Amino acid sequence: MAELPVGRGPVHITLHMGPKLAKPVPAEVAEALLSAQITATAGERSGFQLAFDLTKNGLISRTLLPEGFFDPKTRLIVTVTVRGTPEVLFDGLVVRQEVGASNQPGHSTLTVTGEDLSLLMDLEERTDRYPNLPPSQRVLAILRRYSDYGIRPDVYTEKVSQPPHQDLRVHYQTSTDLQYINELARANGYTFYLEPGPNPGQSSARWGPEVRLGIRQHALNVNMDANSTVDQLTFAYDGTAREEPQARWQDPGTRQSTLLPQPPISPLRPPLGKRPTPALKRRTLSGTAKHQREQAEAELLARAAVSADVVSGSGSLDVNRHGYILQPRQLVGVRGSGRTYDGDYFVKSVTHILRPGSFQQNFTLSREGLEARSAYVRP
Amino acid sequence: MAEIEPYENALDAIPGAHPYPRTSRYHDAEIGVHRLPDGTEVRYTKRRLLPPLEETGDATHTHTVRTGERPDLLGQRYFGDPGQWWQIADANPVLDPRELTDEPGREVGVPLAGHFPQGPQGVRRG
Repeated sequence: MAELPVGRGPVHITLHMGPKLAKPVPAEVAEALLSAQITATAGERSGFQLAFDLTKNGLISRTLLPEGFFDPKTRLIVTVTVRGTPEVLFDGLVVRQEVGASNQPGHSTLTVTGEDLSLLMDLEERTDRYPNLPPSQRVLAILRRYSDYGIRPDVYTEKVSQPPHQDLRVHYQTSTDLQYINELARANGYTFYLEPGPNPGQSSARWGPEVRLGIRQHALNVNMDANSTVDQLTFAYDGTAREEPQARWQDPGTRQSTLLPQPPISPLRPPLGKRPTPALKRRTLSGTAKHQREQAEAELLARAAVSADVVSGSGSLDVNRHGYILQPRQLVGVRGSGRTYDGDYFVKSVTHILRPGSFQQNFTLSREGLEARSAYVRP
Repeated sequence: MAEIEPYENALDAIPGAHPYPRTSRYHDAEIGVHRLPDGTEVRYTKRRLLPPLEETGDATHTHTVRTGERPDLLGQRYFGDPGQWWQIADANPVLDPRELTDEPGREVGVPLAGHFPQGPQGVRRG
């Protein structure tokens, strides 16, 4: 049966668009897609950029574009199927469109740029008070407003519990919902991001620690001849990135100010490297003296954990050769780069670049120390 | 469904910690725990029920079986991976996957690329 054609390429891309409820796009739109670029980062907003071929008398320029099919706030869902397994890559809103009309036939393009659904939470400023609610419940109360976009809250209690005292302090929100959620996440050493999937039209809003435990994704192989899956991989080790924050706290009863003890960051960030990096810098956090003690402790822990990542790596891979889509915000093993830099890494960000016939991924990795903890990675 | 999970669960329910990879038909199957009389716990994959068949033929396209074809060859041809034959078997209710390609001339429904077989109920944590 060798004469059978082998599929039409193992990567398929599916687009859903529409106001709030996205539907599959007409075939002409899918055929006009020239390239798609999607960026997903841990703790930041994801974005996309799609380029369409704008034929003079095509469906897009004749009806869809004037009728507002690509207008801002149109929802757009990108699904990619690799080897028969579908995966939702992106769920977001169109923000901006650009039309480049060209004299040469076939060179006119429509470029659509957008951001993920957390843009909705960043649209209006809100003044709200949250009496007697700990941070995680405040986040949950905010996220409940966005359930009609299929956003499912995935909220975890804070590591240092901060029981609220209504008679001492009432927490106020003065910024947009997204800014306030991010502020709360930073104060607790957590990250907030929207993870699209598992089905089109759904996404989960994670407010919690970064996923730095569990099964690693399939390893990235570099410098391994025919077995390499990564085109190129660069590592950088910044010794000054790690700092040891110091916080003082004043007891309102006795007016005594005490230096808070350094918390261990391993519950928030399990170590990935064998040789942890010593902190060269020492910084004093401002404003912690007047907080409640738990709040000051949480901020100290958060600052110590966030600055711990000193080793960063970046590279690019071809999905067809790697065989799997590298997912951001999860762990991955690296092999072939030498004893110092092999081992497990946290995938900080991934940029998917799709063109007809190619699916490239650019990624950045990070961890807090040199050398692998274990002699093996998951292949 | 909107609940706050305790901090300890944050590093428990890890995406990808499932024993079956994304490409497996058991990926969305539930993991059960069986307790032996002496108290030890044995984990097992619960029986996987077929997803409901679509009433309309929108989600599949038809393939006419020829001589010598096998489900894995169809998987390679339509999905680029011979291990994905189970998606074709799911879309055509047969007891034995080999029945799919036994008779040349039989019409088999092949799921389209980008089709989510598990439907809206297959929500996993993470």
